Amino acid sequence: MLRFYFEVARTAYRRQLIYRWANLAGLFTNVFFGAVFSYVIIALYHARPVVTGYNVQDALRYTWLVQAMIMVVLPFSWFDLMLTIRSGEVVTDLSKPCDFYWYWFSREAGRNIYYLFFRFLPTYLAGALLFGFELPGDWRSWLGFGLAFLLSAMMGIAYRFLYNVVAFWIIEARAMITLAQVVALFFTGSYIPLPFFPSWLRAIADWLPFNGLMNIPVEIVLGKLDGNMLWLAFGRQIFWLIVLTLIVRMLTLLASRRVVVQGG
Amino acid sequence: MLINSWRAILYDVLLYRRLIALQIRAQLQYKINIFVDITTYLAVTALEFGALLLYFGPFPSLLGWNIGEVALLAAIMSIGFGLAELTGAGIDNFSDTIRRGEFDRVLLRPVGAFTQVIGSDFRLRRFGRITQGIIAFIIALRLLPDLHWTAAKLLILPLSIVSGALIFLSILLLGATLCFWTVETTELTNILTYGGREMLSYPITIYSQTLQRFFLFVVPLAFGSYVPTCYILGRPLPFSIPSSVVFGVPLIALVFALVAGMIWSFGVHRYQSTGS
Repeated sequence: MLRFYFEVARTAYRRQLIYRWANLAGLFTNVFFGAVFSYVIIALYHARPVVTGYNVQDALRYTWLVQAMIMVVLPFSWFDLMLTIRSGEVVTDLSKPCDFYWYWFSREAGRNIYYLFFRFLPTYLAGALLFGFELPGDWRSWLGFGLAFLLSAMMGIAYRFLYNVVAFWIIEARAMITLAQVVALFFTGSYIPLPFFPSWLRAIADWLPFNGLMNIPVEIVLGKLDGNMLWLAFGRQIFWLIVLTLIVRMLTLLASRRVVVQGG
Repeated sequence: MLINSWRAILYDVLLYRRLIALQIRAQLQYKINIFVDITTYLAVTALEFGALLLYFGPFPSLLGWNIGEVALLAAIMSIGFGLAELTGAGIDNFSDTIRRGEFDRVLLRPVGAFTQVIGSDFRLRRFGRITQGIIAFIIALRLLPDLHWTAAKLLILPLSIVSGALIFLSILLLGATLCFWTVETTELTNILTYGGREMLSYPITIYSQTLQRFFLFVVPLAFGSYVPTCYILGRPLPFSIPSSVVFGVPLIALVFALVAGMIWSFGVHRYQSTGS
């Protein structure tokens, strides 16, 4: 069975390889927005050298890591599952002799690996070249980042599955999905890094699942979390990964009991 | 001759009004849906604006611009862009029209192609962004209690917002024209519209000189937001451009729109169907 999921992931990865120009265009957009945010950050730091332990280099790195991770963790306009629910195709997937959630999970895992190589790495490198910050050196922080990124990618899959699965109950879920994505982007630190949040908002953001999607891995690689803070961060990620996965599986179970196909 | 061309324009305007009325009526059939859409769009754009304000928690200013001044700039940008999105959806979707071969049908009708394209869509949900822009404008005014208004400033404000919308629409039209050759919307158009909106929500002096010149003299988006905002705030313009240039903003927008229109007509004449 494991072999089957592996093949699903591999197929998803290879399917993604075809969209070369689309990926290049998307990469260009990521780099563009990364550059705009960088200009804003550089201009802001003219007024103050350090904010909550972040100097301008840290803030730039934060911005570029987030831009680089977006397509892996929180891809824009991901309606894939919703569309299969709407068209009725979902029934084929539900009746496959495998677990419905792990099937989608494997597909998305394959896509994520594609985006790791063809979006994450080039975006971050482009940022490093354009704004001249070096890679932080410590191998331990990169190891921590790798682990946290793995957890956040899995959380990301659960989250995108969650806001799509509502389509079982609401047929036109596009508006809701957009809102779910934008709220997540806001609280992951994609619009403005979480360290810049006022303390009351930061306290809320820390306890939300979105914190684990991008902010935690980034703070780890920048060396801002150590000792107990580091373990707490991992704990939060694992906790939310389990909770999100359980919710998603429960909703899928509920939905598959009452799914009615409209024949055409 | 002159009377005839006036008649043609009037005819197109009337036709446009009917097409839009049709669109609005169709979209209002799903009342809950359109309400949810507008509210969502309002929430999405409000979060973006909220993030902009949050920067001014830890930082006192952005290259000398305080929170109220940046908020005013972003608000003017939002309203102008919102207007362009509201009216320009048909131009924005033009690649679909081309790909499906529907443009052949458009050309067969005895009415101007442009009127049909711009009249083919009108997105009521875009009122979400315009509402956000108006709320942002009110917040900006609260943050700028010492701002002194004159009759000239009150005149410039609506004129420049409309001019900004016109410049955005012209970019959309240029992007649509490109579809005659590329069939698909290029990322370039999105960078200039969505990207331009994002970039010009901040004072352009934070960017490199090349980028500043680009948005002033090549794609004059800065004239729809940055230049009038500087005039309202009494700030000097870069490259020692005189402040009074603000009175020429509608003219600049019109010239840019005319150039875009000419390139569009050229494209229409050169159009060869996708033939599928």
